Amino acid sequence: MRRAGLLGLVLLAALPWLVPPFYQTLLVFTAIAALVAAGLYLLTGLAGLTSFGQAAFMGVAGYTSALLALRYGVDPWLGLLAGLAVTGLFALVLGLLTVRLKGHYLPLATIAWQVALFIVMGSWVGLTGGRTGLADLPPVRVLGRALTDPRSYFYLAWGLALLYAGLLHRLVHSRHGRMIRALRGDAVAAASFGARPPDLKLWTFVLAALGAGAAGWLYVHFIRFVNPSPFSLEASIFYLIMAVVGGVQSLPGVFLGAALLTGLEQWLKDLLPLVFGKTGNYEIIAYGLILVGILLLAPKGLWPWIEARLPRARPPRPEGPGLSPRAASLADPLLEVRGLTKSFGGLLAVNRLSFEVRRGEILGLIGPNGAGKSTTFNLLAGVLRPDAGSVRFAGREIAGRYPFETVRLGLVRTFQHPHLFPEMTVLENAMLGTFPRTRAPLLASLFWLDRAEERRAAAEAYRALEAVGLAELAFEKAGRLALGQQRQLELARALAADPLLLLLDEPAAGLRAGEKRALAELIQGLRERGITVLLVDHDMELVMHLVDRVVVMHYGEKLAEGSPAEVQRNPAVVEAYLGGVA
Amino acid sequence: MDPTIFGFLLSDGLISGALYALVALSLVLVFAVTRVILIPMGEWVMYAPLTQAGFLEGRLPATVGLSALLLLVWAVLDRRRGRAPWLLAGWAVGVGLLGMAGVRWPSLAGPIAFLVVLPLGPASFRLFFEPLPQGSVLLYLILAVGLHFVYKGLGLAFFGPDQFRLPALWPGELGVLGLPVPGQGVLLVAAALLAMAGLFLFFTTLYGKALRAAAVNRLGARISGISVREAGRVAFLLATAVGAAAGLLAAPLTNASYDMGFLLGLKGFVAAILGGLVSYPLAVVGGGLVGLLEAFSSFYASAYKEAIVFTLLLPVLAWRSLSALTLEEEE
Amino acid sequence: MRKRWIGLAVLLLGAALAQAEVRIGVTLSATGPAASLGIPEKNTLLLIEQGTFGLPKGVKVRFFVLDDGTDPTAAVKNTKKLIQENRVHLIIGGTTSPNSLAMIDAVAEAKVPFISLAAAKAIIYPVDAKRYWVFKTPQTDELMSKAVVEDMVARGIKTVAYLGFNTAYGEGWAKEFAKAAKAAGLQLVASERYSPKDTSVTGQVLKILSKRPDAVLIGAAGTPAVLPQRTLVEKGYRGQIYQTHGVANPAFLKVGGRFVENTLLPAGPILVAAQLPNTFPSKRPALTYIAAYEAKYGVGSYSTFGGHAYDAWQIAKGAIERALKKARPDDLAAFRKALRDEIEATRGVVGVHGVFTMGPTDHLGLKFNEAAVMVRVKNGNWVLERTFR
Repeated sequence: MRRAGLLGLVLLAALPWLVPPFYQTLLVFTAIAALVAAGLYLLTGLAGLTSFGQAAFMGVAGYTSALLALRYGVDPWLGLLAGLAVTGLFALVLGLLTVRLKGHYLPLATIAWQVALFIVMGSWVGLTGGRTGLADLPPVRVLGRALTDPRSYFYLAWGLALLYAGLLHRLVHSRHGRMIRALRGDAVAAASFGARPPDLKLWTFVLAALGAGAAGWLYVHFIRFVNPSPFSLEASIFYLIMAVVGGVQSLPGVFLGAALLTGLEQWLKDLLPLVFGKTGNYEIIAYGLILVGILLLAPKGLWPWIEARLPRARPPRPEGPGLSPRAASLADPLLEVRGLTKSFGGLLAVNRLSFEVRRGEILGLIGPNGAGKSTTFNLLAGVLRPDAGSVRFAGREIAGRYPFETVRLGLVRTFQHPHLFPEMTVLENAMLGTFPRTRAPLLASLFWLDRAEERRAAAEAYRALEAVGLAELAFEKAGRLALGQQRQLELARALAADPLLLLLDEPAAGLRAGEKRALAELIQGLRERGITVLLVDHDMELVMHLVDRVVVMHYGEKLAEGSPAEVQRNPAVVEAYLGGVA
Repeated sequence: MDPTIFGFLLSDGLISGALYALVALSLVLVFAVTRVILIPMGEWVMYAPLTQAGFLEGRLPATVGLSALLLLVWAVLDRRRGRAPWLLAGWAVGVGLLGMAGVRWPSLAGPIAFLVVLPLGPASFRLFFEPLPQGSVLLYLILAVGLHFVYKGLGLAFFGPDQFRLPALWPGELGVLGLPVPGQGVLLVAAALLAMAGLFLFFTTLYGKALRAAAVNRLGARISGISVREAGRVAFLLATAVGAAAGLLAAPLTNASYDMGFLLGLKGFVAAILGGLVSYPLAVVGGGLVGLLEAFSSFYASAYKEAIVFTLLLPVLAWRSLSALTLEEEE
Repeated sequence: MRKRWIGLAVLLLGAALAQAEVRIGVTLSATGPAASLGIPEKNTLLLIEQGTFGLPKGVKVRFFVLDDGTDPTAAVKNTKKLIQENRVHLIIGGTTSPNSLAMIDAVAEAKVPFISLAAAKAIIYPVDAKRYWVFKTPQTDELMSKAVVEDMVARGIKTVAYLGFNTAYGEGWAKEFAKAAKAAGLQLVASERYSPKDTSVTGQVLKILSKRPDAVLIGAAGTPAVLPQRTLVEKGYRGQIYQTHGVANPAFLKVGGRFVENTLLPAGPILVAAQLPNTFPSKRPALTYIAAYEAKYGVGSYSTFGGHAYDAWQIAKGAIERALKKARPDDLAAFRKALRDEIEATRGVVGVHGVFTMGPTDHLGLKFNEAAVMVRVKNGNWVLERTFR
């Protein structure tokens, strides 16, 4: 793998000597487009945020450098720094405004500031030279040599593009990267393992903008002319197309898309010998049809289509020491719930609920459908805010805290419908659990300073997989697991977080009898490891055989509490369940 | 500002807003049922009046051929579906005959242009979106952009780069509170309100509900007897009808050219999103809002008009999004 | 004996010339927002390639024509492609000012002469190391603004409002017209913008009406120029409306109808060639050009923009013939340089937009009074209002 990469690099370095000058020019444009598209890989492909505004960031950096050079004679290299700084600042401000927007509001917001910035670039004639643009920009110089020919610019452009791709690659395979990928469509699960979705989204946004900024800088100093048109909404859409056609969820994909569409545009000019004798223009029609054709053939983009046909090497099994375990809490009861209340629009879902979970026990929370179990679970897990009441965990008040805060204290949950990430491997899914236990900041990941910790996290996650019996499948995509295996993986991920208290949300739902037995054994095993468990389920059989104590809920209130045998004899419980379970 | 100017700007904004609202309605309709953000709608909005202009000049517009061709391809794709291919082929022939009728009787050019453009929507759905029933919103969006390129390129090839002016259906003016409002504008506003009410009511009928259910829940749709395919085609058909009507009504005020569609579609999209891409009345409100913002900012700072409109959108978006600020699942 | 040698040399040279070809690269905006300008230019080049307007003697000419979609990046890509792949000797094109400005670096670096078809003065002025290689044929915005302002002053207009495209075209006019108006003591009371794709300009028009200007200049090209004028008329504006030469195509008259009646605009002489006095230099070539263009593309189809391409060719043709005497086309660098020198040495070439006499500091070479006339729209036709001679 590494050898193939090296060979590819050598080949790329030799490329400008092998192709005619015009293709060198095209390769420069490819690198510029790839920089923008790589940002979209991070932003759209991984974090699931569709941006129609990348070209505006190109423009911000491009104009910054161009104006500094023209007005104050600033060297383009300083212009690059300034451009990236200004772009980062813009992205930060716009990101603060927009990344919290939900659903379709976010893409529209990106369109909004894309259009607004484009108009400002065109209309603030005094500053930007308007639509007519500014000519005579200085070339970039390296060691006193002006990079004006496409061959030397090729190395500059590809150097930057590969550097950026390398940074992104590192980031994606780091603790933050996994979380960014997890954010996509499932912010709850990500937050349950310690991510702060808005922060991560913001950083993703800024990083993607910086890629576009570098591209904009490359662009203006290559053409040595700047006007707003390459920074338009249409251009932004164009980069999105490149990324999607190549495969927005992989780095090779976005590079492929950039190269393909940059080339396609030119090939069509050669192929359609329409030029003379015809006044109509068919390039854009052919272009659109080819685009549609590619997507109909390979809806996930070309790279996944190719990758599926390539041999794949199995990575080595992670070994070595794991992460250091969490300090055990001496608090007993471990969890104390007092007067917990939550209503939805006047309907009391949970009413003054009080109970406790003792250290080292398995407590079952049961009740008929609509009893308020799920609401209670969500209140404890931090997904919902309680209206009143207190929740103390390991001696600390956690009512109203966000999941990304409580998970750090050792309160870890699973999901009833497994919230796994099908595009990630089983091991990567399990490694999400180690997020709250690891420390490397985002910048450290970018520059590969997190490797030791990463190795330990991988080893830890692998052990958790062994514990649940999934180690064999560690390098498969999680999307290929059966439901029972998905539950196992949920457990493994929770274990990797080293929980003090594990909240299990209907873990047996939808499982076959054999799978249920295996699950029960697994949960028994947890107790032996010193993990306290709160199990929410309405599968009486599973609960009664497994738990030490039971809390029964009915109409949002506590109906009964005690050992399984006691509760089963309680007439009120029998009454409630006869209506509910029948 | 003196009240006359204010009144003029108000009426101008509302008329523009009605046009955006109609486009928004068609986009919401398509999105609610198929999850496609239909960018080429802008082109179809323009195709209708351009086709009409062709008839009025005594030419057979190339859209007739395009429409018939797409229907024939559709017929070939559905060749194993009983009578469907013959019906489709018949439809294609019908479009051809309509085209000839349009050249012959220019007074009917408007309605005929409407009928000629109509098949483009459902046929495009059948040809380009139906083969990918499980696509993501992003995939559909990029597909839609590809189609936008195709239809825009065809628009230039068919109609040339110039604008066309079309005769007004209601050439006079209507005095509203002492302000002369162009009759055509009144028609446009009425059409927007009518389309809104119609779609709103349509989606309260059983068929309408089943149609929307097809997008949300495939099983539910099957129970109520509508397939996802049928739902998509019907949605595209209705949307194209709304869009084409909008184009025909607006063109006497705005002129029409092949490249005006994208910006129109974009503003319609903005209005649609202000309505959350689900609500018809809110989409109309969104259209009005965009139109008014535009009218007033073009008075105060025309060079920055678009910048002002889109910047003012940001707080509106934040406000619309605010209600959903808790941690919950997206999509 | 000696004569025989010379004869042989001439013969050999002739043979070499017969094989040589001169390659001309063209990049135009045949699609995109400037398509209404680029298409007639392309049509004209098609006629040129067929030899309708004469080809240089003793050499084969090949044309490579590309579309840039009104996108400067594409224009630069095309330029590099033409230079690096097709190894052209001369580039003609750059329909819009941004496209032409963007191409300057590419041509200067490769040392290829370039005749631009765009308006901005900045394309050729000042003639520095880069613009050494750049020439153009269309009248500058400055020259056309001068015509408008002179006409306004002559009519006793004191206050004027400007409403133009938010594109390079509208921007160039806004800048040059403001300058010229100020110099002539005209008061510019409003300067508004709109997009060619806008569906309403009521806001801008109301703003202008509120300032009660004596005249309004609309800085727009093609049919989108109709909307503001129509809105002005509908809202009851009674003053004089001026358009720019950008509207000088038949579709404008057709779409504009009664709304554009009595509009005044500056234009190159070609627009009203038949009505010019016989002494006007451009009259004859303009009539020839129009006849050839209409024969191919239909009566009334000609526009002034195609004329710029024709003028570029008249200059190039003569320069190629002269350059062939100094260098051979297969010596790429030498011939490009020779061609550049000969373009700069253009003297008295009568085009359809004026008479071109270039020099080391003037890479346009048009004289105001031969290159601009005022035209009025009357009964749906272009009618010569006045010349500046």
